[in-house]
Amino acid sequence: MTSRLGNSLLWLYFVLMVAFLFMPLAVLVLFAFNSGTTPTLPIEGFTTKWFADAFSNTDLTSALVRSAGIGVIASILATAMGIMAAIGLNAKRVPGESVAIGALLLPLVVPYISLAVGMLILLQALKFKNALWEIALGHSVIALPFALLVILPRLRSLDGSLNEAARDLGASDFAAFRLITFPLLLPALLSSFIICFSTSFDEFAIASFLYPSGQPTYPVFLYGGARSPAILPQLIAVGTLVIAVSLLIVGFSELGRRWAERRIEGRSAAPADVSATDNVATT
Amino acid sequence: MSRSTSRRVGGQGLWVWPPVAFVLVLVVVPLVYIALFSVGLRSNIPGTKTAFDLSNWKDFLFGENNPFRALFWHSLLITVLVSVAVTIAAYPLAYFLSFVAKKNRYTLLLLVLAPFFTSFLLRVIAWQIILNENGVVNSFLWWAHLRPQGDSVTWLIYSNFSVALVLFYSWIPFVALPMFVVMENMDRRLLEAAEDLGASRLTAFLKVTLPLSIPGIIAGFVFVLIPTTGEFITPLLVGGPESQLFGNQIQSFFSDSPDWNYGSVLAMTLILLVLILMVIFGRFLSADLRRPSTEGA
Repeated sequence: MTSRLGNSLLWLYFVLMVAFLFMPLAVLVLFAFNSGTTPTLPIEGFTTKWFADAFSNTDLTSALVRSAGIGVIASILATAMGIMAAIGLNAKRVPGESVAIGALLLPLVVPYISLAVGMLILLQALKFKNALWEIALGHSVIALPFALLVILPRLRSLDGSLNEAARDLGASDFAAFRLITFPLLLPALLSSFIICFSTSFDEFAIASFLYPSGQPTYPVFLYGGARSPAILPQLIAVGTLVIAVSLLIVGFSELGRRWAERRIEGRSAAPADVSATDNVATT
Repeated sequence: MSRSTSRRVGGQGLWVWPPVAFVLVLVVVPLVYIALFSVGLRSNIPGTKTAFDLSNWKDFLFGENNPFRALFWHSLLITVLVSVAVTIAAYPLAYFLSFVAKKNRYTLLLLVLAPFFTSFLLRVIAWQIILNENGVVNSFLWWAHLRPQGDSVTWLIYSNFSVALVLFYSWIPFVALPMFVVMENMDRRLLEAAEDLGASRLTAFLKVTLPLSIPGIIAGFVFVLIPTTGEFITPLLVGGPESQLFGNQIQSFFSDSPDWNYGSVLAMTLILLVLILMVIFGRFLSADLRRPSTEGA
């Protein structure tokens, strides 16, 4: 009895919390389609004009393009580094393993603001002018731990005998990697790419210190625009799209997980649990 | 397990070093530069003589009524309070997901995590729109005639309240995750045993579940504490002059009112704080990449 009451209260708490978590997102969607020029209540009417305005605002669209480009470069670089680090850490004996692990996870804990000012003073000491590639490098290093944490568990879960078989059949190290390990790693590489990209696409601290004048990234532009009422509705409209894309990716990855789970359950009951926890660890 | 022995060929371990070098160049070298600036061995002003000089450190650490040191403690207090609040609020969520929502728990977990995967900056901007002087909350109150038109609730934004609320909001999903993982790996037979021995559900919770979930609670707490110590975006957007955090002061030393040497002292302080936190709490964070898997071991 008390147990049932407790469960209902926990359900209620969960529902309220989820509502709280989604409320700001819902507010953005609401005002993306509101015809009023300021985001205030009451709602005036329905419009899609903010989307049209946003996409004809070249300052905004070029900031989006810049951030997308930086995101692609940063996530490819971070994922490549993540593969290397994972292969290294998967070896039987790694001299200086704890130092290596400490270094690879360091970007997780260094405050972005300290890293940003550190990069700023280093680049200036080297007489580099602010540039977008510097931001991409900075983003790739903060994304590297995420890439590693996604790729390494997957690499460890692979069946080593496949690789051994390939090598017994005469495949070189590289061929065994290309033909066996790499295809099996693909789902993890895709997750890694997505996580790194969204980290970069949303990063503000490093970008705000290193962007060349007149070439803000999307978050830097967003931050500036949040203070100017004239373009705020456009920013809300584009923000709604950005959020929708993120949520779609999350949704699809969940569908993929359910699909994989059902396939595994079809074969045997035992490994299903393992795959489920694996997935949570990687999301 | 056969898989652990077969694939590991000597020499593969060397692959770990290029990424480590990458981190050294892009993270450690910048930190060394911050250290050099903080003791006056480098300067951004051309033509100034540079020499080892601890005066900035002395001023920050021991100067009478140093405003930056006061700000440091103020920020740390806010951060700790927010982290405690988030941890308390996230615990029932994790408990619900692991113990009550049986079948669909991973889908429901994802529902909690989903907002975390959307842009942080956009969510802060959304809160700014909600809490503004003529924002959603205030304009609703006017519209519903609960307050006279134009009379806004002032503490809603540009206050410690708004900064704390937005930080609280931002970190709940992330904190629920480590707690959930710990609960999922809990040995459920212990709970059955407690029940068999006549413990009520509450007793079983207090004597079994809660103590066993302490590693998850601490991990969750550190998961908020570490990233929020350097937080500066939230106060920039929803904080007022009185509610800026330590990170904002660092930012302003490197932009509006440049003093890179003094700013480096603050940036270094933040790094040292995080390293101290890692020394204290590091063992509760499960990112131990050496062990293949704790399950089945």
